[in-house]
Amino acid sequence: MQPIDVACSLSAQWPCREVQTRQLASLLHPHLPSPPALVVHGISATCKSTIIRGVLSTLEIPHAVVRSTECITGRHLLTKILWNTLEALGQKDEWEKFGKGRCEHVSSLAVLLEECLASRPAEKQGKFVLVLDEIDRQREASHTLLSALARLGEIIPSLCVVLVLGSSPRPLFLQDAAVPHISFPPYTRKESIDILLASPVPVVEGLLDKVTSRIYPHFVATIYDTLVGPTAGSIPSFLSICERLWPLFVVPVVQGEAPPGGNTEWDFSHLLLKNRALFRHQGESALVHRIVPEESSGPIKTFKASLATKPAPSALPSLPYFSTLILTSAYLASHTPQRLDTIFFSKFSSSSLSARNKRAHHRRRLKVLSQAQAEDRAAANKDSSTLNKKGKRTKTRITKSTLSSAFATSSATTSATGGGGITGPSTILTARSFPLERLLAIYHAIDPNPPANPIRTSAVADSIYTELATLRRLRLVVPAAGHVGGASMGSGNTSADAGEKWCVNVSGDWIGELAKGIGVEVGEWLAGGLD
Amino acid sequence: MDPDGLEDALELARDRSQYQGVYVYQPAKSGKAPSERPSKRRKVSSTGNGGQQSGAHCFLPLLDGEETAECVQLRHDTYKQLWSEQEDKIQEILEDVDAGVLTDVLSFVRGTSPQTCNGCIPTALVTVGSNVSSLSRLLSRLNDQLITSGEGGVVVLESGDAPNLKTSLKNIIRAAVTNTEGNDGYQKFLTDRSGPRLLGYDLDLLHDYVQRKGTKKLVLALRDSEAFDPGLLTDLLSLFKSWLDRIPFTVLLGISTSVELFESRLPRSCVAMLQGKHFEVQEAGNCVDRIYESLQAEPSGKMWLGRNITSLLFERASDYFLTPEAFSRMVKYAYMSHFFANPLSTFLADSVPSVMSRGRFCEAIRNLPSFRMFCEDLVESGSGNEVLALLENNEHLFEQALKHFEAGQQNMRQIFQAVRLIYSCLQYTQGTKKTSFSDLSVKALSGELSESPIVDDMLAIVRTLDSKKLGQVLETLPKEMFDQISLGEIQVELRILQDKYAEFGPLRSEYNINNSVVKTTVVQQRIQLSKAKANLPEHDIEYTKILDLLIGALQEYFAETLIPPQDLFLHEAFLFDLRNPLKETFVPRPRFAIERAMTSPFDYLFSSPDASGARISAKQPATAILYQLYLESGVLVNVHDLWKAFHGVFETEQGKKCDDRIVMTLFYGALSDLKSFGIIKNSRKKTDHLAKVAWMGL
Repeated sequence: MQPIDVACSLSAQWPCREVQTRQLASLLHPHLPSPPALVVHGISATCKSTIIRGVLSTLEIPHAVVRSTECITGRHLLTKILWNTLEALGQKDEWEKFGKGRCEHVSSLAVLLEECLASRPAEKQGKFVLVLDEIDRQREASHTLLSALARLGEIIPSLCVVLVLGSSPRPLFLQDAAVPHISFPPYTRKESIDILLASPVPVVEGLLDKVTSRIYPHFVATIYDTLVGPTAGSIPSFLSICERLWPLFVVPVVQGEAPPGGNTEWDFSHLLLKNRALFRHQGESALVHRIVPEESSGPIKTFKASLATKPAPSALPSLPYFSTLILTSAYLASHTPQRLDTIFFSKFSSSSLSARNKRAHHRRRLKVLSQAQAEDRAAANKDSSTLNKKGKRTKTRITKSTLSSAFATSSATTSATGGGGITGPSTILTARSFPLERLLAIYHAIDPNPPANPIRTSAVADSIYTELATLRRLRLVVPAAGHVGGASMGSGNTSADAGEKWCVNVSGDWIGELAKGIGVEVGEWLAGGLD
Repeated sequence: MDPDGLEDALELARDRSQYQGVYVYQPAKSGKAPSERPSKRRKVSSTGNGGQQSGAHCFLPLLDGEETAECVQLRHDTYKQLWSEQEDKIQEILEDVDAGVLTDVLSFVRGTSPQTCNGCIPTALVTVGSNVSSLSRLLSRLNDQLITSGEGGVVVLESGDAPNLKTSLKNIIRAAVTNTEGNDGYQKFLTDRSGPRLLGYDLDLLHDYVQRKGTKKLVLALRDSEAFDPGLLTDLLSLFKSWLDRIPFTVLLGISTSVELFESRLPRSCVAMLQGKHFEVQEAGNCVDRIYESLQAEPSGKMWLGRNITSLLFERASDYFLTPEAFSRMVKYAYMSHFFANPLSTFLADSVPSVMSRGRFCEAIRNLPSFRMFCEDLVESGSGNEVLALLENNEHLFEQALKHFEAGQQNMRQIFQAVRLIYSCLQYTQGTKKTSFSDLSVKALSGELSESPIVDDMLAIVRTLDSKKLGQVLETLPKEMFDQISLGEIQVELRILQDKYAEFGPLRSEYNINNSVVKTTVVQQRIQLSKAKANLPEHDIEYTKILDLLIGALQEYFAETLIPPQDLFLHEAFLFDLRNPLKETFVPRPRFAIERAMTSPFDYLFSSPDASGARISAKQPATAILYQLYLESGVLVNVHDLWKAFHGVFETEQGKKCDDRIVMTLFYGALSDLKSFGIIKNSRKKTDHLAKVAWMGL
């Protein structure tokens, strides 16, 4: 079978990959000598593995495929290569002959592979192809692993190693000259649309085939131009978006609504005009995958409903009273600079007018400051190349423009999404770590129901520790990264040393809501909170 | 001056083996020669017998040790029996609460496959809120169901089991195999395979197992998904995804916060691998209320928790993370304390032996405050002879006590019946904000319920109900009530009335707002509103009569039954209301205790009589002295200053005799003590300074 025949037989099922198929087929052809190693690269969902498998099975070459993502360690990969090779050669029962099925190093793999390829019966002595899928994603791989694997084919003449990479390779990454590379580029607009049109059209009851064939091609092209193309979507996501939106798109036709403008039939442009809102609402949500898909019992019903009211986000969790208060204090501790503690949280000055004014003043100042810092950073990022060592700007200039922009933007309380905020540059907007004692002190300051006799009541610190442990389990408050040496690692570590630092790990809006529920106004203590 | 003080201090300082730098290692003598290998430990299969025997001995004889062994045994047995009954009830409630979610999750697990989820891993997200423990109950029952139907099983993984990818895979595989095969089965499974021995974390093992058992659904449950490292979770899930065509995984994620929060913390690539459904487990608060109701308000109840304990329990349930299990543990502890420390709890046994009527036991009864009150009442009512008999005749006292004990129990049951009645009435009369059963119980147990505004409001609303609604309310009331109030008759009369005047529709009483008329009169340019009753038709007047009858009966009933339980004779035996045992066990205060011990060590230590005088004295342990000096300092403490002050304490008391070297040793020891408490550390700002880390009284 000639390479062109292979390409023909495969392109019926996997269109738009003729070039790559022919290249593969000619390089791997059983009657032609193959290169010892072959690199196939391309981003995900470009049909790499499928085409390789297709070519190999069409040409009837003995081969073994190892999915590298399924191997946990380098040793696991090597063992699996050996094991899959034996299986492909039908020598699985003779595993004891070949290192007892154990293989701990690439050099021993070379020996074992050579042995088992040599032990084949004479009529089957031919080419053997080893496909290593997504080998660049191998866990715990040593940096020489790839080049060593590529050299297996040089040591064993009958072996051809195909390395499938998900990322585009750097030049000479195998430390070897002239390894043939085959690139699987992403599908172009025309190719994508062709593939989509080749696949079956999603069935909608009550829609005539005639109408479908007239409108569907336009619809697919529009979807590509609006949603898939700009977001670099893959074919599967393209397909799923089309499947999801097509029934909604043709609702007017199915329901028998009269087309506008005195026409007797709906045409595409009218449908598109009618469905502008659909693209705005459904389209964007179609791009984001959610674990729990939004309910879509009846396409017509949901469409109406989703246009009327956006589905309300499911209620955020509520915590017990005491835990809420602790979480709030943790949030405040994370977001208030420590030097202002005496102004914001001191009990002695809490009620007097001057203290309140002072606090308001600091709140505004903080807000302006954080705004200015953010702008500075943005500016520094923009022209960092041109700006050559002006020295650190220690003082923050408060110009009129920064002031106005600061007051224009709404609350500055949204911050600290995930762990990223912790390590970022320190501004007032990012959550900072705090020692436990500070949390306790702030807790006492903001307690909405302070004990009647503060001297006689027993310390609450002990009960705070237990609740804090629960909050930590929920990842709402986490030990600060620098102090525990990777908070992610020690999930069993729950020590609460007084000197240890902690950090809050959720966004402020939710905490603000929670705190309001128990009668604490978070904004009173935050930068720009009440303005 | 007096060298004793120094000696004392040294003596205290000597007991610090943990800081001892050098010691001679003396191996424990074993009978074997050193060359012999240590004998292997054998697994002991069961130690059940030993545990049961020691059970009764953990109860000590009370009444100054004069209680007979029989009584001790009786207390213990009664406790066991009583609690096991209550525990069964609790278990039943918990299972009932979970039942709905369980069927949902089960049908999800059965009904989904990767094909129905667009090739993603089928995922059930279970939000449990603060009801953290419910998930493990749910999972174990899910596991049972899947195993009995032979469909597969549940593998539970906790964040502690998953420090890295290899270990978590190993744990998953091991758990999956041992779930059905047992531990030995796992070992056999590893060794009995044909082919080379696989690595412990190779999912090929699981694949083999799944093929061999014909597993259709393998549920992998992450109990505390939030606590997992997101990177590890992504790795695990991508691995499962790539095996999904061979191993039928279903992932179940337990979430304590919310789906949005959880999703936002995962990388997009990870979220893209999951698709499924969201389930919600009922909140803990509701569950706790039901448990409490079943414990207290059962018509066969024997022993009750008092007001203080109830309010403590519900305070914990509303303010803290408290699982139903933790709640029932607290109740169990209350029961235990009652039987452990109260000799009168023998009354709660099914048959009280008459042997007890002698000696100390009767004296104990006579010392009860409730006995005193009882006697005073008797004297006031003029039966002094009876009091005399009670005081002198043991047999008579015992008989009377038994009689009153049972009467008291009956009274308690009636109280809770009345609470139930009010509770079910309130379901009708109250609008949005419903008073919970526990609130009512607290009021009832303190004897305030019958005069409380809740009941008054309720009765006022009942007055305005029309006949149809009233009929509904009467239908829902507990049936036992009908014997005690003349409710049955009222219901019959109501029905007759309704039949008689069926054509008028629902009947209204005169209290109903529709039946009053507002008159407007203008007097001297002011408008006066006056309400007056409209002229009522005859059927409404009759209905009003019935309503009045009902309200009167209810009021009488409440006044009669809802008496403060503290007024009952022998209430100490069947009502447990001590707050402290619970508080001290479940709200421990280690930090407070340490601080107190350090600031005033003689609260804990027995020592010389003149210790109470000066605040800081050399007679205190060195650590306590140093801690008090530390409290007086600022954020940064100069060590030399601290040493000077420390030395000063000894110098003022011992004058010239003070040995610098010994004081220095004490100082160093004390400093290392404070360091090990974690309340000081070296400052980074100044080398010769210490940083203050902990403040007192927080």
